[in-house]
Amino acid sequence: MISRHQRIVFWCLVGCILAMGTLLFVERQRARDRIVALADATPLDAPYSTTESVTLDLANDSDGSITATTRPIALPGEVTARARALLEHLLAEYALPGSPHPLQSGAAVDDVFLLPLPLVGHSGGATAATSALVASNDPNALQPQNPGGELAVINLRSSFVNAHPSGVEVESLTLMSIIGTLHTNLPQIEQIRFLVDGQPRETLAGHADLLRTYPSKDTTAQAQTSVAP
Amino acid sequence: MNLAQKSATACLLAIATHRCSAQTTTTPAQISAAPKSTTTIPALPTSPFNRTTVLLDPAHGGSDSGSRISDSILEKDITMSLAFKLRSLLAARGFTVVMTRDSDAATQADTPNPLRLDDRAGIANRAHPVACLLLHATAAGNGVHIYRSELEPIPNEVNETPWLTAQAAWVTQSEKLQKLLGQALTRARVPLVLSRASVRPVDSLTCPALVVELAPKGSDSSSLTDERYQQHVAGAIAAALVFWQNQAQPPVRLAPVPTPSTPKKGAQP
Repeated sequence: MISRHQRIVFWCLVGCILAMGTLLFVERQRARDRIVALADATPLDAPYSTTESVTLDLANDSDGSITATTRPIALPGEVTARARALLEHLLAEYALPGSPHPLQSGAAVDDVFLLPLPLVGHSGGATAATSALVASNDPNALQPQNPGGELAVINLRSSFVNAHPSGVEVESLTLMSIIGTLHTNLPQIEQIRFLVDGQPRETLAGHADLLRTYPSKDTTAQAQTSVAP
Repeated sequence: MNLAQKSATACLLAIATHRCSAQTTTTPAQISAAPKSTTTIPALPTSPFNRTTVLLDPAHGGSDSGSRISDSILEKDITMSLAFKLRSLLAARGFTVVMTRDSDAATQADTPNPLRLDDRAGIANRAHPVACLLLHATAAGNGVHIYRSELEPIPNEVNETPWLTAQAAWVTQSEKLQKLLGQALTRARVPLVLSRASVRPVDSLTCPALVVELAPKGSDSSSLTDERYQQHVAGAIAAALVFWQNQAQPPVRLAPVPTPSTPKKGAQP
C-alpha cells in the first residue's frame, strides 16, 4: 500500500520533469532562433541606405551631349562602394532598351579605388614599423588641388571594354559620362584614371585615351559645336 | 593586409609601372610641360618646323580594323583611302606628306613588329610638320567631326616634357587649325562638328594636331566609301592647309627649370 504523501511526492516529481522538459524545449527553440537570426544578418551586400536622389550625367549619341539626370537610387554609405554602385547604375542605364547611348549589358566595373593625393610610397625600413611614408620626388606627380583631394582608379572589366562600340565620339561620351557622374556625386575626387582588368590599356575601343589622368569636372558644360552647311 | 588593401596596392603598382614605361618610350623630339616658376627661364632656339610638311596618320591598320562601319566596310580602309586622296592633293600643292602607314599592314619600318600608337607619334614628332592629321571614320552622325586635344594649353614649351602631355604647348595652335579647317569645310557645305577629345596618340604630338573623323554624307553609312564625297572633303582640307602653312607659329621653347640645389655642409657664404 502506497502512502498518500508518497503519491504526492511522485506526482510532484512527474510535474517537475514535465516542466523541465517544456523549459528545455522552449530554450532550445529560442537558441535555434537566435542562431538563425545571426545567420540572416551575415553581410552579403554592402549596407544600403534608403533611396536617395542621385544625379547621373547621361550621354546622348545623337547630339553628342551629356545631360544631368536625376534618378532615385539606393547607394551604400561607404565611399568606395558608393562610387562603384554609382557607376554600375550609370552603365546599366545605357544597357536599357532605347538608350540614347547603347552599351552592352553586364557588369562593367570591377573595382573603384580612392587614393589620397599626393600619392605616397613606403621607404626606409624593411618592416612596416620602421618604414616611412614619403612623397614622390617627381615634379609631375599627381598633386591635389584641394586638401583631401583623391584620385579615383576605376578598374573596368575587359568584357565591358571589349564589347564597347568603337568611335571617337561614342568612346569619349562614355568616359565623360563616368567622369561627370563621379564629379557631381563625389566632389572629393579630383582626378580619375582607368585600368582594364588591373592593367593599363591604351584605348577604350581604339580611340579614347585610357592612359591619361582625367581631371574630375562637370562634363555637361563641354559642348561640341555643330555647324550645318 | 586585407583583400582591398592588396588590390589597391596592385593598382598603385600598375600605375607606377605604366608611368615608368610611358617615360621610357620618350623620343628625342618630345618636349615638356612648363613648370610654374617665377625665375627667368632662357628661351632656346625653336625646334625645326617644316612649313611644307604635313603628317597624315590613317588610323588603325593590320589586325586593328577600327570600328566596323558595316559588314563589308572597315574603318581602317576608309582612313587609308581618305589619306591617299589627301596626300595627292597636298603633294600637288607643294607639300611633303609623311604618312604613318601607306598600306594595310601597320608595322614599324624594316621590322615586322606592329606599329604602336606611340610609334605613330614618334614618326610625327620627328617630321616636325606644320600639321598632324589623325584620320578616323565613323558610321555615327554625318559630315566631318574635328577634335583637338582636351589638354589645358600652356603658353610655352619646355625642353623636357612628359610624353602623355606633350601636346599641351601646341593646343593653342591646334585650336586655330581646327577653326581654319572648320571654316573651309563649312564653305564646302560639309556638315561639321568641332569638339575636344582625348584620342591616342594626339596628346603626345608636338605639332598642331587634330583628329579628323569622316562620318557619312547623310544617314547612309555606305556613303563613306563614296569616292566623290571623300575627294570633296579632302579638297576642302587641303585648301585650308595651304592657308595654314603661313599662319602656324611654334610655341616658344624654354630651357628646363633648374632644380634648387641644397647648400653643402660647411660652405661659407
